[in-house]
Amino acid sequence: MLNNFIFVFLFMLGLYAVIMKTNLIKMVIGLNIMEAAVFLWVIAFADVGKDVPIYHLGRVGENFNDPVPQALTLTGIVIGASTSALLLTLIIELNKFTDTIDRNKLKGLND
Amino acid sequence: MKQKLQHIIVIIILTISGAAVFFNLKVMTIYKDIPGGISRYIISFGLQDTGSLNLVTAILYDYRAFDSMGESTVIFGAVSGIVLILSRKMLPVSSKGLSFIVKRTLGIMTPFIALFSIYVITHGHLTPGGGFQGGVILAAISIIFSIVYGSAFDYKRYSPQMKTVMETTGALMFISIGVLGVFFEGFFLDNLNFLGGKPGTLLSAGSIPIINLGIGLKVGAGLAIIFYSMIQKTFREEL
Repeated sequence: MLNNFIFVFLFMLGLYAVIMKTNLIKMVIGLNIMEAAVFLWVIAFADVGKDVPIYHLGRVGENFNDPVPQALTLTGIVIGASTSALLLTLIIELNKFTDTIDRNKLKGLND
Repeated sequence: MKQKLQHIIVIIILTISGAAVFFNLKVMTIYKDIPGGISRYIISFGLQDTGSLNLVTAILYDYRAFDSMGESTVIFGAVSGIVLILSRKMLPVSSKGLSFIVKRTLGIMTPFIALFSIYVITHGHLTPGGGFQGGVILAAISIIFSIVYGSAFDYKRYSPQMKTVMETTGALMFISIGVLGVFFEGFFLDNLNFLGGKPGTLLSAGSIPIINLGIGLKVGAGLAIIFYSMIQKTFREEL
């Protein structure tokens, strides 16, 4: 219940940043907030046991959390970091050519 | 005025769609226990199948190792794109570094950061951690060199050529483990069980520690290359 609410709130907050902010770096931050919302939600699914999924110091398999969503989230985090770095690189290059990172001041995209 | 109206309309639309998503999510089943199928199988038999105590590492580098290889290819693609876009000139032009106190303090701390990253990489099958996490800590050393000592120091100590060699070594290590799996076990990237020792010791779990080492080298060098490309251009603009 609370998990779903926080997921929807963070996702819509990120979507608002992507739609309304005119600064391109803030749009990338909005994309990252949307990603973080999905990761939190998937990790909250996995939280069904009492213990981390590692056989160590006498832990038993009955109490473990679900390891599959955690592995999927690790994959997603790496992909997200790569795409954010590539987007920021494109913004640096855009700033070199047009001297602005504001979406409304860019010439040649709108007309 | 028009701007304000636009904000209000967007906020209303997002609130309505968010409420719609929220009330639809309430219909979904809530897991009170681990569902049967693949999760239950991995928790029950993961230790005997792979010999790795950490089940997340067992999934990433044994059951889904092919997917991890695709993931490292994504990092390679991102690094290639960034270097292709940003690099114009190999010699870095940067600041002269921070003050004497910061330099001496980081000089004492840097070996311990390196030791911690190597610990996280090599104990990936025993404790939380693994190649990706340890590789990020390894890249932090290069970032500390660039910021605190100036990127000329980073260029001398930990040159881009060396980073390229490290990244290629990691990728080749991963792929050669996969090819060895074809010869010894019958499948690409199958776990090399004859390497395995007693579960719980450092040299156990077959080929998982070797793949961890390769991924750690690859991620550390890749993130260091990304940071190096970005900082070089930025400081050159300011000077």
